[in-house]
Amino acid sequence: MDISFALTGKGYVIVAADTTAARSIVKMKSDEDKIKVLSPHLLMAFSGEPGDTVNFAEYVERNLRLYHIRHTYALRPASAASWIRRSLAESLRSRSPYAVNLLLGGYDTATHTPELYWVDYMGTLTSVPFGAHGYGSYFALSLLDRYHDPEANLEEGLATLRRCIDEVSKRLVVSPGKYKVKVVDKDGVREIEL
Amino acid sequence: MASADGGAYSYSLTVFSPSGKLVQIEHALAAVGQGTTSLGIKATNGIVIATEKKSPSILIDDSMIEKVAIICPNIGMVYSGMGPDFRVLVARARKAAQGYWKIYGEYPPTKVLTQELATIMQQATHSGGVRPYGVSLLIAGWDITRGPSLYQVDPSGSFWAWKASAIGKNMVNAKTFLEKRYNDDISLEDAIHTALLTLKEGFEGSMTEKTIEIGVVTVPSQADLESGKMEGTGRIKPTFRKLTEEEIRDYLAM
Amino acid sequence: MSIMQYNGGSTIAMVGKDCVAIACDLRLGNQALGISSNFEKIFAMTERTYIGLPGLATDVTTLHEQLRYRLNMYTIKEERTMEPETFIHLVSSTLYEKRWGPYFIEPVLAGLQRMPGGSFRPFIASTDLIGCINFAKDFVVAGTASEKLFGVAEGLWEPDLAPEDLFETISQTLLNAVDRDAYSGWGAVVYVITEDKVIKRTLKGRMD
Repeated sequence: MDISFALTGKGYVIVAADTTAARSIVKMKSDEDKIKVLSPHLLMAFSGEPGDTVNFAEYVERNLRLYHIRHTYALRPASAASWIRRSLAESLRSRSPYAVNLLLGGYDTATHTPELYWVDYMGTLTSVPFGAHGYGSYFALSLLDRYHDPEANLEEGLATLRRCIDEVSKRLVVSPGKYKVKVVDKDGVREIEL
Repeated sequence: MASADGGAYSYSLTVFSPSGKLVQIEHALAAVGQGTTSLGIKATNGIVIATEKKSPSILIDDSMIEKVAIICPNIGMVYSGMGPDFRVLVARARKAAQGYWKIYGEYPPTKVLTQELATIMQQATHSGGVRPYGVSLLIAGWDITRGPSLYQVDPSGSFWAWKASAIGKNMVNAKTFLEKRYNDDISLEDAIHTALLTLKEGFEGSMTEKTIEIGVVTVPSQADLESGKMEGTGRIKPTFRKLTEEEIRDYLAM
Repeated sequence: MSIMQYNGGSTIAMVGKDCVAIACDLRLGNQALGISSNFEKIFAMTERTYIGLPGLATDVTTLHEQLRYRLNMYTIKEERTMEPETFIHLVSSTLYEKRWGPYFIEPVLAGLQRMPGGSFRPFIASTDLIGCINFAKDFVVAGTASEKLFGVAEGLWEPDLAPEDLFETISQTLLNAVDRDAYSGWGAVVYVITEDKVIKRTLKGRMD
């Protein structure tokens, strides 16, 4: 039931995820943070099987932190994405696979480019200008096809995100109430109130 | 320094002596030095490897002794030193060659197979509970990338490519002899004769088709290469073969 | 629904005169939902050997990484580049290793084989998902649009096409085949491999 969106713009990536933690038809929590800050310039929105999500996100978080400590530098987004993908791909053919879908938004400080990766629980990895997971994707992707602009400034990018969220609120029966939005750019990551 | 019996560093393990020697490897080399002479000569159009095949008693049926072994259609090898150790290495080499074939659909280049064997022999110098192999090998083969090549592997696991080399009892004399006789444009036929002459130098007893073994690599012709795989079996034409007793007899008579 | 159709995508390779071509579409989807229009399925393995890996997208990446690893190890160990014919055997044995839990990929290979005389011979081949090799003389296809690719290729292909004609033939074959397949399309990439150069072209396709 989780919904997450992400889009790139001029020098930034916006990552958004709903904040509902539900169990069956009951909302247990409405301020859950489903976007992890993996490194100074890397964000990860995770969704999927409750339990698996947080466990896997923390596993990734700790491993990338360990890499950062060991090597002084954090993994660049493309390399981090590749490592995370492999973890999921190996998990898929194990006895108890993780069922976690991800959106990885990062800013590569070496090439000065914003990067966004769409990753699913099977270990499918692809670089996209915008992406979404969950029921929201059926509404948001077509909107983003129409309105996404890779050269848009942050305000315009957030306006596009707003469109997606509004459309989901309007059309989806089980739409979530609140979203957490984080941005990564040359200055690092920060949270934004919509 | 190591004493004559090898001192305290010669038993059970290959351990460095204070002088920096691995005495067990030197002992293995000594075992090779006691083995019958083998040699190999690379010619322009092939390679010959040959060895002395001496039986300790006339009662032994020497038709079953095999010292030149075919590893795969393009590679063969011969040894000096301990027969049983050689047999193990032949089995490992054949297995490696077939393993390679299963992955790549072709047989390994000579260098790759040599490296494989050298690795096996090297491992025996630093693994627990084993002794080094008591053999030196001469590996001859042909492959598309490097053409005909002749390698020697020692018990330490080190290996070299040679134009001509000898191992075993008479290796020093044989090598001197080869140095005198070798030239870069020797033909395979001449190389076979040189091989026989070199063997004869240190030969005890009479040299007959029963007391020597010869293996040859023949470089395939352009036509052979272009025709590719053989009709029916789909195999490539072998480039390594052992000379039959009749062929050896003919060479000896010449 | 078969797992082979889950992400969609197609690949084709063709033989020409002293050249070969290989092409793929760019779609990555989740069944009917399109996710990416930039998912390349063809990878350069050596200077003259290219492999297309249509099938389950996670396995596209995993198998590509696996093959790249094995190829690099071969190159270092044997100090030579691998020829296409050897490479397809490596692909085959890599796939057969997972006979009872396969990678859901049907590889397509195109390359130029170095002959003993130093000349190059066009070489194409494909395998099924467990590594059964199909050596073809004309063209090989795989992916969700394979039936359509067979049909169009059967109609358009002819022997001894020059590089530019081969490019036109393979491009038209792919583009028209994927237009009849809901799971393939969204743009295409074509490689034409000749003795002295490789030309890569990205084609626009219908985005529906």
